[in-house]
Amino acid sequence: MGESTPDSSPRQLATDARDRVRFEEEALELSDQVYQVARRLAGSREEAEDLVQETYARAFRAWRSFQPGTNLRAWLFRILTNLNIDRGRKIQRTPDTQPLEENDYFLYNRLEESTGDGTPDERKVVERLSQNEAVTALADLPHDFRDVVLLVDLADFTYSDAAQILDIPIGTVMSRLHRGRRMLKRSLAETAVEGGG
Amino acid sequence: MSGFAWDPCEKCEKMMQPYLDRVLTEEERVEAEEHLRGCSYCRKRYRFEEEFRQFVRLAVAEPMPPELKARLAALRTPL
Repeated sequence: MGESTPDSSPRQLATDARDRVRFEEEALELSDQVYQVARRLAGSREEAEDLVQETYARAFRAWRSFQPGTNLRAWLFRILTNLNIDRGRKIQRTPDTQPLEENDYFLYNRLEESTGDGTPDERKVVERLSQNEAVTALADLPHDFRDVVLLVDLADFTYSDAAQILDIPIGTVMSRLHRGRRMLKRSLAETAVEGGG
Repeated sequence: MSGFAWDPCEKCEKMMQPYLDRVLTEEERVEAEEHLRGCSYCRKRYRFEEEFRQFVRLAVAEPMPPELKARLAALRTPL
């Protein structure tokens, strides 16, 4: 059908304006969350700010294509991740050559071993990790993996929302998520063990 | 009896991510919780995983610059 001819009766115009205002307000309420993910997608704060601004500019222009009652947050993040790709993010080939033998208890086991403290409190073990290293480790993840980890672990999207946002099958979301999390842990384990000993 | 075909801790380990992501089936969830009740080894590692997720979330969080908020508001369509 394409776009229907806008009805320009005063009543229609008023309804339109009201819908648009509501849309814009709801979208702006999500801006903190959009920024959090954008900041981790972009290399610098400035780039992140540009990315968020572009996301909102595009969202506000395209507001009619958002279907009320559907997931606005997912819709915004889809714009964000698409723009991030458009802005020249390099398409990286998934480096599946690196074997990841570690299982899911690996990080805890490594940290526990290196504390030399029997079975320490879980919180104490986490304290051995460095905040800066977490930022670096996340930034260093191959982008395909990082996108999924950010959407699920930072933005709390379900597997199925993440699949829709990134336009990939849900099985791919799951495998990238699991692998991405393990890569993150491996690089954190390395730095924590080096730093603490 | 659990009926685990292999080491129950190994199975519990494999269920950790989906358990914390809340995507296990009801049956699997019950199975994991049953094992966790009796196994401090796995319980510790599950708790660590929760702490770890929280740690990553906080470690990488950065407040949004207030000026950006203002700039976004300025992008709104004028009434």
